[in-house]
Amino acid sequence: MTVGWILRRARRQSASQRRVLWAAAGSFLVLGLVAGATVLGLRATRGWMSTVGQGVHVIAFLRDEMEPDQVAQLTDLLRRRPGVDRVRLVEPAEALARLRDAARSSPAAGSWLNDLEPGYFPRSIEVALVASVDLPKRAAELSRRLRGLAGVAEVDAMADGVARLGAWVRFGQRLGWAVVLAAGIAALSFLVSTVLRGREARRRQAQVLVILGETAGSIRLPANIALASAGLMGALAALVVLRLAWPALLTAAEGALGIALTPAGISLGPWESVVGLLAAPLLGWVLGYIFTPVPGWVDV
Amino acid sequence: MIWLEGVSYLRAGSPALQEVTLGVSSGELVVVQGPTGSGKSSLLAVAAGARFPDSGAVWIAEHNIAGLQASSLPFVRRNVGYLPPDPLLIPDETVLENIMLALAVRGAPIESAEADARETLAMVADSAWENRLARSLSTGQQRLVALARALVGPPPLVVVDEPAAGMGGDDREGIVRALVWARDRGCAVLCATSDPGFAQMLVDAGGRRVHLEGGRIAGAPAIGLVPAPVDFSTENQRENADAPPAIPLTVRRSSGEESS
Repeated sequence: MTVGWILRRARRQSASQRRVLWAAAGSFLVLGLVAGATVLGLRATRGWMSTVGQGVHVIAFLRDEMEPDQVAQLTDLLRRRPGVDRVRLVEPAEALARLRDAARSSPAAGSWLNDLEPGYFPRSIEVALVASVDLPKRAAELSRRLRGLAGVAEVDAMADGVARLGAWVRFGQRLGWAVVLAAGIAALSFLVSTVLRGREARRRQAQVLVILGETAGSIRLPANIALASAGLMGALAALVVLRLAWPALLTAAEGALGIALTPAGISLGPWESVVGLLAAPLLGWVLGYIFTPVPGWVDV
Repeated sequence: MIWLEGVSYLRAGSPALQEVTLGVSSGELVVVQGPTGSGKSSLLAVAAGARFPDSGAVWIAEHNIAGLQASSLPFVRRNVGYLPPDPLLIPDETVLENIMLALAVRGAPIESAEADARETLAMVADSAWENRLARSLSTGQQRLVALARALVGPPPLVVVDEPAAGMGGDDREGIVRALVWARDRGCAVLCATSDPGFAQMLVDAGGRRVHLEGGRIAGAPAIGLVPAPVDFSTENQRENADAPPAIPLTVRRSSGEESS
């Protein structure tokens, strides 16, 4: 069969199985929405974590007898540690200045702070870790190690709030994955059952074409093309829907949670879109191949 | 054109054909007559390349299809216009498209395929059916459309199984005319029927009758003209306008060697 004939067959097959192909395109749309929303959801979660998780996670208060070069060494070591975002040495004068700044906004604070001298405060090293779901665990581990050092007087793992946030995010992610998995399986099942619905008609066509001397590859091509086209249509529609609806959906979700932190323009990148536009037709092609049975023999 | 030599075929474990030897030359019409269950459909399925024989040789255009790989059979089948016992049409397609498909697999241009399909439909059945969906036709009408599909082109070898089953007088005459038309175009025509009246009509039109009983050819050896090698090359086709259309036959032998 020439290319012209194969395209003609694909067009005619699409016309005769219009309902099946529309349903398949709809399934691809749902699959695309699920996959795209998963990618965007993960990105939004990471955005929330990095925004909320910014700040200091571990403070190591240093003993007075610690020499400046030892402090510099410790600071350098901490900077080199994997998972550490920022390390900052806070001198006693800065610590006092911060306390006075904080006291100004509190009417309850008295003037007693004015009498304090910087020497009252120890030097400290503030460590900010790279934000992630396991941040509290890493903060606790770093605190334990710092406590074991000779020049460190006390360690404050300021990860309680982050731990609570992390727990909620983990719970949300697990729930999200469960929903994604269920939606993905449902969409895939619907897609396969849709493709199966046209299987008998394609089997009959294949039987006719076998008698006429068509090769198995050419027999499957029209169905492959038709289902790949359905996949492409579904993927395109999913991209458009995500482009239009996701920012509004995300803003609404963040508003409801009171954590309006994600930049409004979040959307799929060009490569992610290209992968989606290639994967859906490929899946359609594969389903067309699998579910177009070609008999080797003619039943007589 | 086609030469079956000592062909045996088992159907569900029982012998359907036993040592059948039969030849049909180009421009010859052979009618295989026999009662139900005599092995006619098996014989025609083997002749059309729809089934491999269990033993023996089936020579079509100098190629023994019994020695070919299964993947090469499509290249043989597209040279054969085969009407199986079940007409096997695509129900959601129009009559014209069903007929055109036979030319599609041979790579004919779409426009000429459409014209040829119309012409053959008009000869075999009713041209008013061309835009009807195959599923809207009666069984007899579907059989006529399937016959038109077997004859369109026409291919070098036409194999038709019970083409007149359930048909009335006018239709039977039309079928005989169509088969004679194919024969006169140089096709080797092999037709099976259990109907003695229809077989006689074909014999009267110049056909050669062969009786098949219990999977064996009855009476004299069923060898007509000695099958001369047929050259299906394009050059030969241009020189002889009345010959069947040239279709390069590329086959792959069991050894993997290819030939055209």
